Amino acid sequence: MTFEKAYLFSLTKFKLSDARLIDQITKMGFDVEDNNASEISVDITPNRPDLLDIYGFARALRYFMHRSKRFDYKVESKVPALSLSVGQNVKAIRPFISSFVAEGKGISENELKYLVNFSEKLGSIYGRNRKRLAMGLHDFSKIKPPVSYDAFSDLTFIPLNESREMRFSDVLKENEKGISYSHTIRNSEGKTFYPALVDAEGVMSFIPIINSNRTKLSTGAKSIFVDITGTSQYIIEKAADLFASVFIDLGYVISPVEVKYKSKTVMYPQMSSTTITIPASRIEENIGVRIGPNNIVSLANKMGYKAAIVGSNIRFVTPPYRLDIFNEQDVIEDIAIGYGYDYIQPEPIPSVQQGSLEDVTRLTGMLSKLMLGLGFSEMMNSYLTSEETNFDKMLLKHDSDYVKIKFSKEKQLNMLRNWILPQLIYNASLSQHEKLPQKTFELDMVFSLAGGKTLEEYHLAGLIVDAKANFNEIKGIVEALLSTVGLQYSIKEDKMGSFIAGRQAGIYVGNKKVGFFGEIHPQVLSNFGLEEPATAFEINISQAFQQ
Amino acid sequence: MHKYELVLLRLLAKKGVPLRPAEILEVSGINRDSLFWAVENLRSKGYIDVHRSIEKYATITEEGKKYAESKLPELQLLDKLAANGPIEISSMRSSEDQISLKWAKEKGFIAFQNGKMVLTDKGANAQKSGIEEDIVLKELYKNPEKISDFEAKYASSVSQLEKRKLIIIGSKNGISSVEITPKGLRAAEEEQEDEEAINTIDRRIIASRAWEGKKFKPYDISLDVEKQYIAKQNPLREAINRIKEIYLSSGYMEATGPIVLPAFWTFDSLFVPQDHPARDMQDTFYLSNPSSISVDNPRLLKKVKKAQEEAWHIGWSKEIAEQAVLRTQTTSVSIAKLYSAEVLKYNMPIKMFSVGRVFRNENIDPEHLADFYQTDGIVIGRKLTLANLFDSILRIYKPLGVKIRFKPSYFPFVEPGVEVQVYYEPKKKWLELGGAGIIRKEITDIVSSEIKVLAWGLGVERILLAKDPGIKGIYELYNNGIGWLRNKKAVIL
Repeated sequence: MTFEKAYLFSLTKFKLSDARLIDQITKMGFDVEDNNASEISVDITPNRPDLLDIYGFARALRYFMHRSKRFDYKVESKVPALSLSVGQNVKAIRPFISSFVAEGKGISENELKYLVNFSEKLGSIYGRNRKRLAMGLHDFSKIKPPVSYDAFSDLTFIPLNESREMRFSDVLKENEKGISYSHTIRNSEGKTFYPALVDAEGVMSFIPIINSNRTKLSTGAKSIFVDITGTSQYIIEKAADLFASVFIDLGYVISPVEVKYKSKTVMYPQMSSTTITIPASRIEENIGVRIGPNNIVSLANKMGYKAAIVGSNIRFVTPPYRLDIFNEQDVIEDIAIGYGYDYIQPEPIPSVQQGSLEDVTRLTGMLSKLMLGLGFSEMMNSYLTSEETNFDKMLLKHDSDYVKIKFSKEKQLNMLRNWILPQLIYNASLSQHEKLPQKTFELDMVFSLAGGKTLEEYHLAGLIVDAKANFNEIKGIVEALLSTVGLQYSIKEDKMGSFIAGRQAGIYVGNKKVGFFGEIHPQVLSNFGLEEPATAFEINISQAFQQ
Repeated sequence: MHKYELVLLRLLAKKGVPLRPAEILEVSGINRDSLFWAVENLRSKGYIDVHRSIEKYATITEEGKKYAESKLPELQLLDKLAANGPIEISSMRSSEDQISLKWAKEKGFIAFQNGKMVLTDKGANAQKSGIEEDIVLKELYKNPEKISDFEAKYASSVSQLEKRKLIIIGSKNGISSVEITPKGLRAAEEEQEDEEAINTIDRRIIASRAWEGKKFKPYDISLDVEKQYIAKQNPLREAINRIKEIYLSSGYMEATGPIVLPAFWTFDSLFVPQDHPARDMQDTFYLSNPSSISVDNPRLLKKVKKAQEEAWHIGWSKEIAEQAVLRTQTTSVSIAKLYSAEVLKYNMPIKMFSVGRVFRNENIDPEHLADFYQTDGIVIGRKLTLANLFDSILRIYKPLGVKIRFKPSYFPFVEPGVEVQVYYEPKKKWLELGGAGIIRKEITDIVSSEIKVLAWGLGVERILLAKDPGIKGIYELYNNGIGWLRNKKAVIL
């Protein structure tokens, strides 16, 4: 979120130096991404939709610096400004709606800009691209009751900022918003619905796509109609509370709207709060500091809660605009933030437990040392590779027992490697100007499928690139390695396309093939653009060392 | 002074005039290479002056060498004719035959009669007494530096040999003569010959004690020598090992877990709602083979479903939870351990860690990789605090000597949530190292309402970046440049 600092300070009614502002924002739990003379950009975490606008942010900053005394966000009027009926057809696609009317002295240019921006942000981020939540703002004076919300046939209306009448179906094809959000009104079978708000004069809004031009909100409008629609009753209710709180902060008076479902009638906004009572001692036990009940109440206020001491407990009342307070652990976090993470003294945990490493860590550690002793340097490649590198360039057929990626932003990374050698050859192809011999190894994981189950195993692969590289040398290295670790193995003829026929062998433990070595086929070398002879070995460590 | 230097110096002193290298070679018995070595040494000591000139030299070609060692092909033909009588021309087929035929004819050594060749008188004479061209070739083969002398005396033969490509005449900037200086004259009287010095020491010299009483020829210690390279562990592996060592010494048990897993373990079990943007295909790697992996724990699935639906107010689908993905965080390893029944058998607090790769569907650039390392730590206990969490993390990172700070942040599965930042000196700014916090009760209550779990998941590469000034970016670690690794400075982490 990018905020104009001058406007932000006009809302907080105090000014802060840049350093102080950044410090406060960091302490509140947000990262400042950018800061220049006029604007500051803040990364708002997804749990705080109430801070996706400058008004909510200014409010939080005011509390955090103990400058706000308002803890009640209520709707005084019990008389609905409007009654809105919900039809049966919309049930299948977007069943819920909340709404209210805000009355003021005329909306300013800044307010209009920021409120529209907020509704967009809320719909895209918290509303998951308007799928679960979207909202609209209208000039209430242009609405002619009765108003109803339902899914309709393919009606016509003049969409916002268009000059001609369009059908809903045309909007989905021709209007930018229609194209972007058409997926939100298609059900899982591909059927498209046309949810809309309709008054006596026709379509007010094609939901959640675009409003009508007729009820457009402009600067100076005194009463504003807000509609919020979505797929979750809880979310549209809380979004109404959240949006109404912003109008209350701006000095508007909220009039409720009555929403009539077939079986029930609900008044919005509800401005619902949760009361959470927590023993003061439990708060301290969770954070690990002595704070004291009075200070806890003060810290609660700093975070926007109404709070009171009740015996040995603290009673917290959550502000209606907070959507992220589920239970006491969420309140405790806010108290910790209010207290300041910087002031929490780290405290050791008494423990007598002895540390231990996994067997595989100790095994791979030993093997790595042996490889270094043999003069091989360690490479570390991505586990992701391409079928081209893993199979084609190595002159192997694709088998089906490998882990395949469904969608990758990097097209050439479409599988998890099932052996390491291709990547070692690739590494060497990029370092051909370096002095020979080049000896490299990698000891890490590879992936395959067996009977539908994923096998995650460790392989050790070694590569020698040298003008004099030959079968006997690599055989000597493999034997040195295997005899040093005391493995009972045998060597048999092998026929892999990646190696030269008659210059390769398989390594067997019992009857199981656990590895191979040999002179790499010149066609493989050419496929990687390598122009020096090379020999290599690869051993399945997980299988070779299976007890 | 070396023997050769002294021989040369005394020769020059005795003759008292400048001498040409050819003259010196003739009388001194020093070979050519040693002579030039001695000349250079004496010159650098100021004992002699060296006069230079453009010097001609002959190189004998391979063909020339062959004939120099036997005789010119036309003479070989004459020998055959003298010994065997006339030869059928049609039998002269090889290229060698053609060459000998050509030259014997051109020089008038042979004549043709009835398809046969016979010796002429001139030819018979040449066969008996040899020819100048052949003698010059043989002499030049022995003394190629004498080309100027031969050219002066036998101009036509030399030019003929050159034309036949048996010799090549070149020129170089060479030494025309050397002359002794007054300082050299004194030295010639005063200097003594060095004892024989040992060059390469070998088994024979050591065993026979032949080195006794001898000097070892010294090396020029300032000369550049061939570069040697050290086989090295990858710096990233060193960082991983160091981190494991610190966990181990702080009493943590290592845990490992799968990389290919159902979304359940990387998302649902961590309280991430099913419509969370992080679960998008644009951010997480979903698999087509296997496309789903079942979670065979109905009790756990039921509890997670309930916790998810209560908190997020959207439906929860088992199918979505069972989609196969590459893990996006190592916390999934810790959580799987936490949910496994065995964990409660240990005495509390239980301290566990894991180090492993995590995956993000990214467009790869120097700052963004699709897989990288994360280390995860958890502490399971009955009474644990945020202050304990801070202490635990600091104990892991203090030994690395990096500057760490904590700020509030949000991660779906922890409350309170903490962002751990590391100070990056080269850019003078705080970098995000990872997330931490106390695991939400919705998750831990599934195991036991009595326990609390501290958890952190932090990047490994960034630690290395903050610690090792020789590493300019994360990308360098995965480039696997052999040259880069060979030249990489060792750093104590």
